[in-house]
Amino acid sequence: MRAIAFGVTLLLALTALGQSGVGVEVDDVTDNRVNAGMFTGSLELRVKLTGNNLDKATAARVLVKEAKDDRGTSLSDGKSQPDFFPREYNSGTLQVSVSQPARAASSVRVKGTVELLVPARDPNAQVKIDKALSKLDAPFANKTLKAAKLTITPLSKAGYAELMKSRKLDDKKIEEIRARAKKENIPEAEVEMMIGLAKAMEGLDDTPAEGAVILSAKEADFKRVYRVEILGSDGKPMNVTSRSTSTRGDDSIMILQPSEAPPANAALEFTLVTDKARLSFPFDLKVQLP
Amino acid sequence: MRKLALLALFALPLLAQPKVDVTVKQVNDRRTNGSFSQLMITLELPKVPSPDVAASRVLVSTAVDDTGRNLIDTERGEAELEANRSGSMDPKEKPPVTVSMTLKNPDRKAVAVKQIAGEIELFMPSKDPNSVAEIPKFLSQAGKPLSHRALKANGVEIAPLSAAQIAAERKRLSDIKRKEATEAGMTGEDLENYVKTFEGMQLNVEPGDVLVRLKDPNKRIQDMSYIDGKGEVQHLSQREDEGLYIFSTWGEKPQADWKLRVSMKTPKNLARYPFTLSNVPLP
Repeated sequence: MRAIAFGVTLLLALTALGQSGVGVEVDDVTDNRVNAGMFTGSLELRVKLTGNNLDKATAARVLVKEAKDDRGTSLSDGKSQPDFFPREYNSGTLQVSVSQPARAASSVRVKGTVELLVPARDPNAQVKIDKALSKLDAPFANKTLKAAKLTITPLSKAGYAELMKSRKLDDKKIEEIRARAKKENIPEAEVEMMIGLAKAMEGLDDTPAEGAVILSAKEADFKRVYRVEILGSDGKPMNVTSRSTSTRGDDSIMILQPSEAPPANAALEFTLVTDKARLSFPFDLKVQLP
Repeated sequence: MRKLALLALFALPLLAQPKVDVTVKQVNDRRTNGSFSQLMITLELPKVPSPDVAASRVLVSTAVDDTGRNLIDTERGEAELEANRSGSMDPKEKPPVTVSMTLKNPDRKAVAVKQIAGEIELFMPSKDPNSVAEIPKFLSQAGKPLSHRALKANGVEIAPLSAAQIAAERKRLSDIKRKEATEAGMTGEDLENYVKTFEGMQLNVEPGDVLVRLKDPNKRIQDMSYIDGKGEVQHLSQREDEGLYIFSTWGEKPQADWKLRVSMKTPKNLARYPFTLSNVPLP
């Protein structure tokens, strides 16, 4: 199968990495075909990146621009923007997910770009905010964040509770969701299921545990933040036992739970996805279906 | 094939049942060049409430796609009863039970499974008063076989070992090893080190583990669990060591007020329903 699937690497200039290009190689293909009411399956590709000096990249992701089976079925709208995935996880492999191809299809062609995140390429990709938790419920006043047009607010527990209260789904919000879904032609059953799920999830919204760092921002802003570290008094990243981000509408809340409460002088270090830190490599894959 | 026929002869005599109504709830044709490439079909039995079924399995005798490919995986072995874990938020709700079968992937060119036939086996403890034995404060009964009508009816014997019995069992096993090693010519310090190493490994129990002698000649035990003081089920895992069984839990250690629950298959609570399906569309 690996011999059948092949990656065609196109080239982009990449002086900082000192390499000629980055390619994509299919490692595993799973056509998970499902027929269960409104649920259908998906085609999952596990891909390996090839090329020199990949170790200089902190994270990577695959953006699918076009995916079609050999029967002409389109398997992607080309809009999916997955998060950057750390290079040290899963032996550096990445998951690519597109819609279920036709049963009668025998191969699939996937085109897109591989993006590498190399923060060392941009001095503005790392932002350290000293005593970040000393002034809560007001956006960080930091030049680099401002220049990047990022508004991030550290929240107190009271600020978090207030925000959660304002996010609660009431009749008006539900009607807005239904109207928006209708406009976007989303099936009614799907919308009602999502509303039910969102209501059930509201019941799980617990107050974050002692020592949690709570950050609020627009979803689009958090999408441009690859990672946040809490730096202790020694300037080293603290052990964070859980990280979660929840989104309602355009607003997101990120909660970092360190294993011990951060000191009063704790700093936060943001790794940003900037244009300079991001490198793109086109790819074109033909994959034989199992 | 001969082995299967022999197994059938010794299997529990089951309740003969008429054909059962089934509908296809889900078809999952997972095709991969990695692991777990299989076709899984989930059936719903509209007339059988899920809470009545503790476990189920599907024994498939025929499964063929419309290209003629046989979908029975002969290397897989006979399906085992799997616990019914589907629950409902509302205890008053009684949704129909679902059962699943795992087959080989059909041909990619196939558009349907032409025919599937076999039997659905349901384990329904409520059909027999001797299905479940719950032994209160079982820890206090160490040293003697647990007494319960259902255990007796099924020929099952469970005896938690007392500390003295465990010590005696360790000594017995140690003596056997010593004899074997002596007969093999081992003497002096080598012999003592050998026996000591063995003693460190045998009947190795962690705090909270319970060592039991267990006899189940008719293979009736389907599941065992603890019931804690609040009436919550605490799952236990069991492993065999030197002919004895060690019961372990992941979480809390068994307490004095805990019960031991043993669920058993009997001719009355195990029923097989024949079924056939034709032209099941493939996704």
